[in-house]
Amino acid sequence: MLIKARAAIPYSMSIIDLTTTKKPDLALRLKLLAKIGEHKPYNCFQCIRCTSGCPSMKMLELKPHEIVSLASLGFIEELIASGTVWACATCLKCKERCPQAVAPVDLIFALRNLAVEKEAKVPESFLRSLSAILETGFVQKPQDTVTRKMEKVNREKLDLPKFHEPDEKFKAAFFKVLELFQE
Amino acid sequence: MKVAVYWGCLIPTVQYGYEMSVRAVMPQLGLELVELNNVSCCGTPIKSVNMFAALYLAVRNLAIAEKTGLDDLLLPCNGCYLSLSEAKHLLSQDGKLKERINNILKEENLQYEGSIKIWHTINLLHDLAGEERMREVVKHPLNGLKLAVHYGCHILRPSTFQPIDDSENPKKMDELVEWLGAKSIPYPEKLDCCGYMLLLSHPDAALTFTGLKLKAVQDWGADALVVSCPSCQMMFDMRQKSSGATTGAKLNLPVLYYTQLLGLAMDISTERLGLNLNRSPIDELLQKVGLISTATSP
Ligand code: SF4
Ligand code: SF4
Repeated sequence: MLIKARAAIPYSMSIIDLTTTKKPDLALRLKLLAKIGEHKPYNCFQCIRCTSGCPSMKMLELKPHEIVSLASLGFIEELIASGTVWACATCLKCKERCPQAVAPVDLIFALRNLAVEKEAKVPESFLRSLSAILETGFVQKPQDTVTRKMEKVNREKLDLPKFHEPDEKFKAAFFKVLELFQE
Repeated sequence: MKVAVYWGCLIPTVQYGYEMSVRAVMPQLGLELVELNNVSCCGTPIKSVNMFAALYLAVRNLAIAEKTGLDDLLLPCNGCYLSLSEAKHLLSQDGKLKERINNILKEENLQYEGSIKIWHTINLLHDLAGEERMREVVKHPLNGLKLAVHYGCHILRPSTFQPIDDSENPKKMDELVEWLGAKSIPYPEKLDCCGYMLLLSHPDAALTFTGLKLKAVQDWGADALVVSCPSCQMMFDMRQKSSGATTGAKLNLPVLYYTQLLGLAMDISTERLGLNLNRSPIDELLQKVGLISTATSP
């Protein structure tokens, strides 16, 4: 009974305008599919198990089954422009529980990558981590912190060994990796 | 027994309490930590920007760990554990991808085989140290404490990547807590996410995740929440005030790493365990286990 009721829910209505939207972008769809390995969105049968356990559904109305459906149909530009993919908390429940091995969260990561490539809506702070890694190998340098009694401490004061950043060779190779990805 | 250790970004740059407590407890269990040279970030923070670059970083760190010739690698951070276990999984399935990455690694004289076994703190203590050894090192049993454990998402799911325990019904961290004499309470919110990964794009929602879970744990009557991931600690411990403000809840719950708890049971001083760095009301917990005398002289 439940399955029938759910099957009656049409494909996503909240991100695309079904009356005026342009045609699906099939080239972009192929590009997306190439990024996600075995977890193909077209295997989804819209059971909505992913969305039912999604914590970001409760908080931000993220609907992983909709993202899967739209990607599968080829409405990639619309998905990227909506910014909805940045609402995923990466809890991986959808990947664990999908009966069709679709892994909506992997699709979300692939869509975020596409958003970066196409210079679409990307929260700036995500790009900051990349520049920090290029510069220091890590997302940040060791920070000063305070105890509960507001004493200032750092690694040295806490008797922790010296922290080392990776050498120049690392940076050169990592630059190359980023270039490879552009091709 | 020697175990290589990879700390990642958050632990050695800001979550010093985790690093200090891991360093303090492991030798007592006969586990000698071997540091890695020239490692970098694990890739998780840039997965949203460039999945391939993230994977490359994960594999590179694994290759460096393999160079030590050791059989075992400890990853105390859940994010690193996911990133490196995913890399192992993907490369074991795809020979071409492995070759492609190894070609780049060659420039740094590195090669990834896939030989080293990876551990997270929780399964290392549970499976490798084991119950007998763990019970032996307890000098100050934590009898009477009611604790809630929080595994964190990235060591449990997906089950295809060698998670540390059953993905939907994990038990290891609960058992680890009980081996110290405390009680691990069952609670329905156990698998709920801390919200950390939403902090950059949706901070209010992230803090709501945190606040709701803390409120639930507090309402179930737990004396403290026990975590094993620097990201989760940065939410539940460091952001307890702001998450309380966001959700309108009055929060006052001690939050600490499992290794800090274990250290207390081993009678290691609170300073060596970095417990004076936790932001949540740890002193209340120390009082309950009769350790307040050491707590008042940090
Ligand atoms: S759980 Fe899998 S099959 Fe079901 S709706 Fe979600 S993606 Fe589709
Ligand atoms: S990984 Fe993202 S989309 Fe999937 S259930 Fe968790 S929050 Fe929702």
